[in-house]
Amino acid sequence: MSDKKNNVTLEEYENEFLYKKSKTNLKIEFNRIAFIFFVFLVISIIYSIQLLHLGSLKIEKITKPLIVETNYRADIVDRNGSYLVKSVSSIDIGISPIEVIDKKKLLINLKWIFPNKDYKEIEKKLNKNKFFKFEKNISSINYEKIMSLGDKAIRSEEKLTRLYPQKNLFSHIIGQIDDDNNGISGIEKSFDKELKTAKEVLRLTVDADIQFLIREELLRFKEIFRAKGSAAILMDVNDGAIISMVSLPDFNPNERKSIIDVDYINRATKGVYEFGSVFKTFTVAAGFNESLIEPNTEYLNLKKQIECNGFKIREYSKKTPTDLTVEEILIRSGNIGSVRIGQKIGEKKFKSFLKTIGIQGIIDFDIKEVGKPIPINWGKCKLATASYGHGITTTLLQIAKGYSIVTNGGYDIKPTIIKKKRVAKNTQKRVLNIGVSDKINKILRKIVTNKEGTAELANVKGYEVGGKTGTAQISKNGRYTRDKINTFAAVFPSKKPKYTLIVMLDEPKTNSEYIYYYRDGREPTKGTPFNTSGWTSVEVAGQIIEKIGPILATKYIEN
Amino acid sequence: MKKIAFITIFALILVTSLVKNSTKEIEDKIFVLNENIRPLTEELGDVLLEYNFLSSPEKLNQYQNQYFEKDLIKIDITKIKKLTEKNTQIKVSDFIEKVNNE
Repeated sequence: MSDKKNNVTLEEYENEFLYKKSKTNLKIEFNRIAFIFFVFLVISIIYSIQLLHLGSLKIEKITKPLIVETNYRADIVDRNGSYLVKSVSSIDIGISPIEVIDKKKLLINLKWIFPNKDYKEIEKKLNKNKFFKFEKNISSINYEKIMSLGDKAIRSEEKLTRLYPQKNLFSHIIGQIDDDNNGISGIEKSFDKELKTAKEVLRLTVDADIQFLIREELLRFKEIFRAKGSAAILMDVNDGAIISMVSLPDFNPNERKSIIDVDYINRATKGVYEFGSVFKTFTVAAGFNESLIEPNTEYLNLKKQIECNGFKIREYSKKTPTDLTVEEILIRSGNIGSVRIGQKIGEKKFKSFLKTIGIQGIIDFDIKEVGKPIPINWGKCKLATASYGHGITTTLLQIAKGYSIVTNGGYDIKPTIIKKKRVAKNTQKRVLNIGVSDKINKILRKIVTNKEGTAELANVKGYEVGGKTGTAQISKNGRYTRDKINTFAAVFPSKKPKYTLIVMLDEPKTNSEYIYYYRDGREPTKGTPFNTSGWTSVEVAGQIIEKIGPILATKYIEN
Repeated sequence: MKKIAFITIFALILVTSLVKNSTKEIEDKIFVLNENIRPLTEELGDVLLEYNFLSSPEKLNQYQNQYFEKDLIKIDITKIKKLTEKNTQIKVSDFIEKVNNE
């Protein structure tokens, strides 16, 4: 009986064991399905990540193309969006003589389409059996005609052509490209890579309308004063944006001529000159910056002539008084007074000041054609001559930069021709002490308004023009000649300058027929009395400001 | 639990494929639009070039000499007036005052 009971117990254990086994089996089946779905989930997540990654790659491709297109070059526009340069594709036609079936027939057909070509020369080329270019920049009508001949020997080649709709107007700024789409001068050279890759137009700070007006005046006065060349820069004193930059003579880039004549140099950026008395503003500003002088500081018993190592320094006018204040020295453009101020500042501080305002050394600019001022062996005499602008050279662009800094409140600026976002004034670096500009601007205004001043012809009503003249003799083969560089550096409105306009005439002559209309209502006079800046470049600057002033005052009011 | 996991995964797969499909459709549309814009952009560029050339100061001077008898005059800034609208009334003042006060 007891044995039976034991058997029953064994069976129950066996059932329990079987039940457990089946329960475990169920769990394994569920995990397999979950595992498959898990794999699907992982795949779908990877797929989604891949999709997102591809999406982000496309955005990168738009902004940074990996492959540089050889047949692409971005257009260049002015600040108003007017085309200065436009790329258009053109087609060149070439002939492969080996593939010509009937030479006579081909020549007859070509004569019918292009009747004005030299076919004796073309026949010679055909007989040489070497591929040659038949027609460059073919018109669409002639292209259709020539291709309809169906001759396999005729081959077309698509090429990029640059059109310059403003012709000469921006020749020195824009520059040129060669036949292989490489920039060889101007913006075309310095922004070569960007123009080949950028998908957007390159916007410059220049204004085509203002550039035209300034060029017209420069051309007119180049004739009147029979100048060898001339140049002008109009710059925003607060951010260094160049609104206009003209250098004459210029050229038409559409003609694609190789410019080798040095007379075609960019006088605004590449030409290095002694500018004479326009430097006196920097000498006085350096004195103000070092708190060594004030506008009413007096210099007494100034000599009419001093000597330094055998080099004589004279006053330009014998009428210059012997006792002058700093303000009067600048207004009357006194040489001896400027020397005395320079000596008070000292070589070290004067050099440092010129470096601060960017007069010395090569300027960092958007185009590569910039001049290198001749290095100076500083010394006692060099300091004396440099303080009134002689024996020291620089470029017109650096003069514009220097005048901008000394008149804009002493803030550092970088001259630029590429339109960028305007930098807020409070983020600009101040390089000159507070008050220097206020003192300088008042004196510059007096140079234009005072009778003793040298720039009354630029006193255009309504613009508060201030400025400083500079008449410098040109040094050739180590000797000063009678030829001159006449410069006028203008700032306006002088209460709070917005613009600086620098006008330079290279080797001007007097004109006995030109009539000067004084701006204070005096009787006009005929003929240029002296070959000085006050009678030449000041008159040009006055005429320019009169023409561009209304545009600057109204169009740029928001800017 | 099983059902929720299954539905979630299925929904994810479905949504992914739907998103991918719609993305492809959008991409196709963008491609077609870009291809249609390309000739229009070229045409616009050519028209703008023509406009810039014909309205350039040099051309305008040429037209002025050709079609008008009177010469162009310089504007005197002191004669420019400024119009300001305030409470439906227009106030006329000298423009030069603003320049001086800046």
